Amino acid sequence: MKRIAAVTLGAALCLGAFPASVSADSADEMILFTWEGMFPQEVLDGFEEEYGIEIIYSNFDSDETMLEKLSMAQGGDYDLIIADDYILEEVVAQGLAQELDMDIITNFDNINPSYQGQVYDPEDAYTVPYGAGIPLIVYDPEQVDIEITGYSDLWDESLEDCIAITANYRVICGITQLSMGRSMNEEDPEVIAETGERLLELAPNIRLIQDDNTQDALLNGEASVAFLYTSQVTQVLAENPDLQVVYPEEGLGFGIMAGFVPSQAPNGEAAMKFINYILEPEVSAQCTNYIGYYCTNQAANDLVDENLVAPEGVTGEFVRTVSAEAEAAYSEAWTAFKAACD
Amino acid sequence: MEKDKKVPYIKRTSSRRKKPGSRSAVWMILPLYAFTLIFVAGPLLYVIALSFTKADGGYTINWSFTLENYTRILEPVYLQTFAQSFQLAFTSTLIICLVGYPFGYFMAKLPPGKKRAAMLFLMLPFWVNSLIRMYGWIILLQKKGVLNFILQKLGIIEKPLSILYSYPAIVVGMVYVLLPFMALSVYSSAEKMDWSLVEAARDLGASGFQAFWTVTFRLTMPGLLSGIILTFVPSMGLFFIADILGGNKIVLVGSLIQEQMTKGNNWPFAAALAVVLMALTTLLIVLYRRITHARELEGIG
Repeated sequence: MKRIAAVTLGAALCLGAFPASVSADSADEMILFTWEGMFPQEVLDGFEEEYGIEIIYSNFDSDETMLEKLSMAQGGDYDLIIADDYILEEVVAQGLAQELDMDIITNFDNINPSYQGQVYDPEDAYTVPYGAGIPLIVYDPEQVDIEITGYSDLWDESLEDCIAITANYRVICGITQLSMGRSMNEEDPEVIAETGERLLELAPNIRLIQDDNTQDALLNGEASVAFLYTSQVTQVLAENPDLQVVYPEEGLGFGIMAGFVPSQAPNGEAAMKFINYILEPEVSAQCTNYIGYYCTNQAANDLVDENLVAPEGVTGEFVRTVSAEAEAAYSEAWTAFKAACD
Repeated sequence: MEKDKKVPYIKRTSSRRKKPGSRSAVWMILPLYAFTLIFVAGPLLYVIALSFTKADGGYTINWSFTLENYTRILEPVYLQTFAQSFQLAFTSTLIICLVGYPFGYFMAKLPPGKKRAAMLFLMLPFWVNSLIRMYGWIILLQKKGVLNFILQKLGIIEKPLSILYSYPAIVVGMVYVLLPFMALSVYSSAEKMDWSLVEAARDLGASGFQAFWTVTFRLTMPGLLSGIILTFVPSMGLFFIADILGGNKIVLVGSLIQEQMTKGNNWPFAAALAVVLMALTTLLIVLYRRITHARELEGIG
């Protein structure tokens, strides 16, 4: 009895682990592989109803896991994957994505050109952006005497012990470099050392460094200026619309999530149809409002929450993987900065 | 006659009981042994091995021997991190001693009913996750928080104080989380104490303080010492308190390790930091026990 149970359990586990390989050959199914909670249920149901294609939602918890599974399956098993910019670079370079079928994706022109032609896919041949994350400065004009227009203003002496920042050191070092007129992805240790020195000058102004719920500091009065992630910006504005949002003039740190069809997708055609479907303005707006990232579909701009539309012509840079030496230099600059904050 | 009979009888039973007993004891201990080997010694060895390797850009590890991670720790930035961690641990432990010792001592002197109530109140906060309790402290300490409100209403301060995200806030958090460990261990040794010894000291002419110092304090020393170990060692690793109440502005070794593991993707360096931290903590405990002769006092020599 026990043995039977064990075998059944084992089989169930195997089935659970490889849902794709079991059900891949059916033509009216599409296997979607992305993080949890990336689509509202209505959108998924709507597609199933309209096209008669069943969506199997399979999720991963990190970009790295996704890449590992996809390379093991040699570009097969999954029909549509949505992941982050820096990993897409790797996917495209390894030839794991197939070219988009523009005959099916007739809504392609809806995409906002600001989010196209990115480093991971300069010709826009493989990927379609799904949402963008842009960390921004938010401040309370009542408590701040100066007008903040860019990162350099964070160094202003009047902001002593006032600023809350997120805790991703590549991003913070990155914006420091942007304020110095450099790239976010400098590789030269000497340049990074200069970044570190500049960062030390910011230390007296820092009130707190935190990744989660950073926006609370603005709401409860602990900080009057904050550098926040997109989802935090959205939340803080929902609670206090009087706060001022700044798109820093030096340029933005970008993060784009985009979808692609794997090279050996069992049902690539269904995936192309799905991409076209989510590019429709109404559907796209539903998705954008649901995930709370910046809208990458210009046709949907009027339909989404106004806080989720970035101003026209924003340009940005991605945080990309740098060499181990540069990474170490960044983390050292960051540790010195944190220690100098108190 | 009787005596002669008794002795071998006792001996026989004891030897008969011992043999099968010890054999089954081996089997009883074996799972624990295996568990320890696999889940404690194994990862520990892995961490040590990892600390001699190199991060290979991105997410991979280059399995070639290098001392680079250890030489990197010698850079002033990281040495300072260690110094700051130890300083915070010392400060917190000292305050915990000053508050926790009298707490445990007087708790043991309470009448039984009140003793039970005191124990319950001490344990009550443990029913709530410590992370949530830390967020509770934010509500108390923040600018628009309870403490500032009371101080302002009482006219003690005019402008709200920035207590949150400062060094004192971290110390408050540390003391709050670790105090019960000290109080309980002092309590348990004060509880076991034979109070007639204090009476004897008083009868022989010792003043109240003299009796406390020469008798009670010496006899409750084991509780104090194990309390110190129970608070000092964890306070090296409670980095989430520095994150939540300190606004991440003080770099502790714990948070550095966490950062290197997650955002830095540098597991070898994180491993080296962990190894050095473990070595230093062990060294400190050994030194401390040498100085205080704690082996006899704790009864675990």
